[in-house]
Amino acid sequence: MKVKRKRLKVEVPSMAMGDIAFNLLVFFVILARAQDDGHLQWTPAKAKNIESAGNSKISIVIDKENKLFLNGQETPVGQLAQAVESQLGKLPAGQRTVILKVHQDIAAQRFEPVIEAISQAGGDLVHILEEEK
Amino acid sequence: MAIRRNSGLLVEPPSAATGDIAFNLIVFFLVCASTQPDSGRKQQLPKSDQSQQQEQKQENVQVELTRQNVLINGEPTLMKDFIKRMKTKLQGKTRPEDKIVVVKSKPDTPYHHWISVTTRIEEAGGIVTLQLEEEKTVTVE
Repeated sequence: MKVKRKRLKVEVPSMAMGDIAFNLLVFFVILARAQDDGHLQWTPAKAKNIESAGNSKISIVIDKENKLFLNGQETPVGQLAQAVESQLGKLPAGQRTVILKVHQDIAAQRFEPVIEAISQAGGDLVHILEEEK
Repeated sequence: MAIRRNSGLLVEPPSAATGDIAFNLIVFFLVCASTQPDSGRKQQLPKSDQSQQQEQKQENVQVELTRQNVLINGEPTLMKDFIKRMKTKLQGKTRPEDKIVVVKSKPDTPYHHWISVTTRIEEAGGIVTLQLEEEKTVTVE
């Protein structure tokens, strides 16, 4: 007697696909940053007792190739004060944070004018550092 | 003939892929989490008028930075003694303008050395201000 085998239909469960796609979209949107300077290569200097930098509209990076970037865009140092001032606008004190990320081996002749420009623009400077263990 | 209907319908969402989904989400969070530091140190930079600069030079503590060394009022200082000596210099000064420490760096002073020294100045209670060289255009006729 021939016994007919049942053909089992195998399907990947796809009922939750919509929820998964929505969640992934939300996670990427939350984690995405407005200032795209993640591609810049720099090593932070180390210090003890550092604290959270908070949120900031402005991120200035001097990378290991000694190039200056304002919010991911290469900027000459002569234009930095004006650019920072225009970005800060009329923000009140306490909301004028400017994040400064400088590669640890950059010389003073490069980063001191940047610090001066931030001070001239009325920004509240925060050096981004790594905790020294 | 009465047909008995199975009224106890049990509908379960397919959950065979739940483990894979959870694993993928964990991987996405780990990959997307930024490895760049977002913590650091705030720095208050007092603005000084040019007319006050001469007075400050004479009254305030001066720190000079070279590539590897540091001098307090012209005296070479070891890093391990820096905070102690700075506290001694700032002792008895209660007004914020008296606690200003003028930091002058050689052009080749690396950033990590500058951060190390300015951190110690602030730990000792000083307020960092920078002394930069001015560029002047001189016309020779």
